[in-house]
Amino acid sequence: MNAPIVKLGRTASFVLLLFLPLPIVVIGATSFAAAGYLRFPPGELSLRWYAEAATDPRWIEAFLTSLGIAAVVAVLVTAIAFAGAYACHRLRPRWLPAFELAVMSPLFFPHAALGVALVNVLAMAGYLGTATGIVIAHIVCTLPFAWRPIVVALQKIDGEIVEAASLLGADERRIALGIALPLARSGLVTALLFSFIISFDEVTVTMFLTGPQVTTLPVQIYAFIQENASPVLAAISTATVVVTLLVVMLLERLIGLEFFVAHDPA
Amino acid sequence: MRGATSAPQSLGWLLLPALLVLALFLGSVALLFFHAFWGKDGFSLVYFRQILDRADYHEVFLRTVSIASIVSIAAAVLAYPIAWLLWRLPRWRNLLLVIVLVPWLVSLVVRTYGWLVILGPKGFLNETLKWAGVIQSPLPLIFNDLGVVIGLTHVLMPFAVISTLSVLLQIDNRLEEASESLGAGGFETWRRVVLPLSLPGVFTGLSITFLTSMGAIVTPILLGGIRQKMAGTQIYQEVVYNFNMSKASAWAICLLLLSALGLALLRAAEAALVPKADR
Repeated sequence: MNAPIVKLGRTASFVLLLFLPLPIVVIGATSFAAAGYLRFPPGELSLRWYAEAATDPRWIEAFLTSLGIAAVVAVLVTAIAFAGAYACHRLRPRWLPAFELAVMSPLFFPHAALGVALVNVLAMAGYLGTATGIVIAHIVCTLPFAWRPIVVALQKIDGEIVEAASLLGADERRIALGIALPLARSGLVTALLFSFIISFDEVTVTMFLTGPQVTTLPVQIYAFIQENASPVLAAISTATVVVTLLVVMLLERLIGLEFFVAHDPA
Repeated sequence: MRGATSAPQSLGWLLLPALLVLALFLGSVALLFFHAFWGKDGFSLVYFRQILDRADYHEVFLRTVSIASIVSIAAAVLAYPIAWLLWRLPRWRNLLLVIVLVPWLVSLVVRTYGWLVILGPKGFLNETLKWAGVIQSPLPLIFNDLGVVIGLTHVLMPFAVISTLSVLLQIDNRLEEASESLGAGGFETWRRVVLPLSLPGVFTGLSITFLTSMGAIVTPILLGGIRQKMAGTQIYQEVVYNFNMSKASAWAICLLLLSALGLALLRAAEAALVPKADR
């Protein structure tokens, strides 16, 4: 092996890797700078931007709205995905490949197009600018992400267990809720946390759907950047990073992160 | 769970919620076409004709496709070494994966704001360079196409890392050992064995990052400014400020068509570059 080249490649790759969290780190550093902007050499530290954010009802409301919407979306989409994926798994309909392609199809839509499409349908239903509308839109956007891990988890269940339960007299409800549900929990937890974080951080589609009554944290951050880029934004942004980091770490603890780099069997 | 005792058809009811979501999505796409082709006075192609006629609109679409192409290729090239690093360091992979996943999952408005703080006229980079005496006046790093390309490339890199890494992890270790025992060096092994095998992952990353940058709104508006329009920013303006759903829908359909064309080209390129046995 030509070691120097490999070593050089490794160092360069590491530098590139550190480039990924760079803007987040910069925002985090800014949020603690008393001056409100980052400079070199660094100035005095302070928590004033956090205090300002925490006492502004607009930010509290947007933060709670985003958490609430993300929680509702995560639970609903995981339930929808489990029910659907379980039925597909047991019934193995002939049209399964077409159905799965349809489930995945929102992934092939550029977000701007998806946003317009959802505005059209939500406006017709009278849900534009409401939390319900945002929840519906997020369910459409996150279903592909919740579907995949659940299908993978269901495929890992040993068929003989189901067979045995069935022979011992378990009815379908018992098989679904007593056997498949607990055995597929790695997929369920992944779907739950993954869809939570996507919903919590989504901005491009959501910005079409917010209104005077309801807005989410990322959309409000966007609006404030355009109006006045106050350093409070750095504190708020850091708070969203912390939420995201916590969820990723929770997923790592509970299930592991292998799902993200598992090869897609489809 | 395959081969379980014959499941009753009544389980089909469980599909209902997912079917409802699908119906909603397909319904919204149908409405998109309806709005685009149906104006106040019935069937109309006026918004498509407008796109075909106006040179400034051509420019917007051209910029969108160019930026999406540059960004997806840049993201693929820059992400490859990171994926390779994670693949080579199995013991550190989980920690390094968190460094990739968190920036991927953090809201893109936050990541874009970070670039604003770094690259802005009074941003960290310009102020530092001024302090060091390298420059006199700030470099114009944002409110132009360069800012959009930097921001979007960074926003999309994590996904390219993940898709490349997932394919690298499929490679049988013995192939590398065989290559090296036959006398190939580390670089040679990478070029002739690892790289061809990992191309499908690179292409998956290219497809998704191309699609995402075609439909981007937030990063182009914040880092490109109002004048450097992309299709997504134009669509957003039509919906939110002009309430012109028909025009926005027509634009969205053009965006969809261009994206599909890009994906078809990528697929053709993959078919040409990746040997059949590897797919």
